[in-house]
Amino acid sequence: MKRSIMRVAGIAGAAGLVLAATGCSGSGSGSTSSSGTSSITFWGWAPGYSDAVAAFDKSHPGLHVDYQEVQPGAKGGYQKMLNAVKAGNAPCLAQVGYETLPSFAAQGALSDVSAYASADRGDYQPAAWKSVTLGGAVYGAPVDTGPMALFYNKKVFGSLGLKPPTTWAEYQADAERIHASGPHRYISSPYLDYDYAGLAWQAGAGWFGIKGDAWQVSMDSRANDKVADYWQGLADKGLISSAPMYDQAWYKGLGNGDIATVVGAVWQAGVIKGGAKNGAGQWAVAPLPQWTDGARQAGNAGGSSTAVLKGCDDPKGAWEFAHWLGTDRSAFGGLVEKAALYPAAKSLLDLPQLKGGDAYFGGQKIYDVFAAASAHVNADWTWGPLMTKTAADLDDGLGKAWAGKGTIADALHTAQDQTVGEMNKQGLKITG
Amino acid sequence: MPRRRLRPLLFCAPFIALFLAMYVAPIGYAAVSSLYTVHRSGLGLTAPTKVFDPLGNYARALEDGAFLSSLGRVALFGVVQVPVMLGAALVLALLIDSKSARGKGFFRLSSFLPYAIPGVSAALVWSFMYSAQSSPVNRLLHPFGVSIPFFDSDLVLWSVANIVTWSWAGYNMIIIYAALQSIPAEVLEAARMDGASALRVAWSVKIPFVRGALVLTTVFSIIGSAQLYNEPTVLLPVSGGSVSSTFTPIMSAQSAVAAGNYPYAAAQSVLLALLVGGVSFVFFRLTGREERA
Repeated sequence: MKRSIMRVAGIAGAAGLVLAATGCSGSGSGSTSSSGTSSITFWGWAPGYSDAVAAFDKSHPGLHVDYQEVQPGAKGGYQKMLNAVKAGNAPCLAQVGYETLPSFAAQGALSDVSAYASADRGDYQPAAWKSVTLGGAVYGAPVDTGPMALFYNKKVFGSLGLKPPTTWAEYQADAERIHASGPHRYISSPYLDYDYAGLAWQAGAGWFGIKGDAWQVSMDSRANDKVADYWQGLADKGLISSAPMYDQAWYKGLGNGDIATVVGAVWQAGVIKGGAKNGAGQWAVAPLPQWTDGARQAGNAGGSSTAVLKGCDDPKGAWEFAHWLGTDRSAFGGLVEKAALYPAAKSLLDLPQLKGGDAYFGGQKIYDVFAAASAHVNADWTWGPLMTKTAADLDDGLGKAWAGKGTIADALHTAQDQTVGEMNKQGLKITG
Repeated sequence: MPRRRLRPLLFCAPFIALFLAMYVAPIGYAAVSSLYTVHRSGLGLTAPTKVFDPLGNYARALEDGAFLSSLGRVALFGVVQVPVMLGAALVLALLIDSKSARGKGFFRLSSFLPYAIPGVSAALVWSFMYSAQSSPVNRLLHPFGVSIPFFDSDLVLWSVANIVTWSWAGYNMIIIYAALQSIPAEVLEAARMDGASALRVAWSVKIPFVRGALVLTTVFSIIGSAQLYNEPTVLLPVSGGSVSSTFTPIMSAQSAVAAGNYPYAAAQSVLLALLVGGVSFVFFRLTGREERA
């Protein structure tokens, strides 16, 4: 009897400790200690952030940043941040992906720091800056971007006498040649949510926009239908593998040459290298195929910001650190090495870490291709206010479309209807 | 006297405090927040306001096609999967309990083993078995010109049911088997003296005896069906669109959370809890009445 009481008491005590600990961790939203140093807390998960913060703390005695690692956003980190904002004990700064930033704003979870930040806007690539601004407010500093290019299997292309395609029409012709060379060979595999968005982004087929104080939703625009119909055509002709991206079957296909290209962002170099080791030496990177011959449009997939959360009582200090993290040469060099982040700041595109050749890609200096692409990423892209839901609804339709049970265009139309329906129900303003 | 009455309360206090904080409070919070609807305005870049509108979320849930069809899907799932699984568990338990059974320990352990594997891992392994590219099942069937489209939209619910049955039949078997063990030896001996065959003993003595265990496992399984989440969520990205993001009621509530609409998610959860509570209650009443008759 006594023992079980002790156990219960122990559990209660432990629960108390947990509560106390969470209380503590949240209390760092900007406080000035007696010694005059100001302290702010930063939640993130990218490998290398803690070293960058340590370097900042060493070089900035007047401002102390306390880095705390959380789960990656989609794996619970974002939920934790939103809950902390709701509970009123959020940290000053948090790592938030560009695609999720407007959802945070739409839940009133961000602070406008334009008063401190606007002067620094010229330091960043225009598309990245656009990603952290909404309706005239600046919600944080860009960190990394995901300019896109064409990863292709040089061995497969070479064996058929093909060069990397420069237009989407050529890409389709190559797709037919590749599939004709073997029934298990495909040019690519299905693209979902944010990877598909990159295809629309390149074509200038934006999904959301802001006009005055109202949202515009344009997932069913003619530009979007053009991109959708193109990929639908490839799928209808059986030129697209059924292996889902990031699935075991996908990595296998990349490794053995059954899937010959990936239209992907810079960070996918790491994904391909890590998951398809058999393909070492066979892969290369080329600029994205274009819709019109000779154009140089690029899309973007991924990238994140250091966002300032609601309730931060040192927004000036928060901006000082966020801007430093996005632009400091030696700190970012470490982030390139440890997390394969690609800088959003203009002055960092010539970092030595981005200059080396990569053995997996046959010694090619692949970052040169992405550097050229990043200068041509369409800056006219805005993410929606309910992006997590929009992406899930879109995937419900895209999954069916790629499997031949619907069309990509329909998936976009349905996702738009559902997004608009939900926005209306919550009272968000929408304009045509 | 009052001190003596206080003492047990004092000993219970840690439990009561934890029970209230960890169990009652979240349920109460969900129920209360389901009575509010979320309102934003303009671009929605300021904190949303909550308006007291006790029926708003419930009315919306009852006209939400995705939510309603997720309820229907899970009901169909439960009606088919629960009897199949418990039937299998009962047969397994009877076989292991039968006098002539060999290697009881081995069969007991091996049928219970799937339960020890976490649901997500089990679903991952099965998604490999089902996948068009890798399915060893279809590779075996290939010479016969047969291939099972596990992710076909008509079949995918039963592919999920198969995973759940595989994971839980052994667990239910153990509960039923434990009940079988408690049958007094005299009763079984008397049946045998009367000349009853093993099948007859199983049907007329053993099954009526484990009735309580069957009712219990049925109610657990009904609740389990309503909470279906792990397996379909793991299959979603590889199912070619057959599993949607609102496949089950819990996934539907999850998608309301993804839209930043917590009160609506709470309302869906409350509706689901009420439905499951109602079904379990009716099931208890029905089985209880037969017992009295």
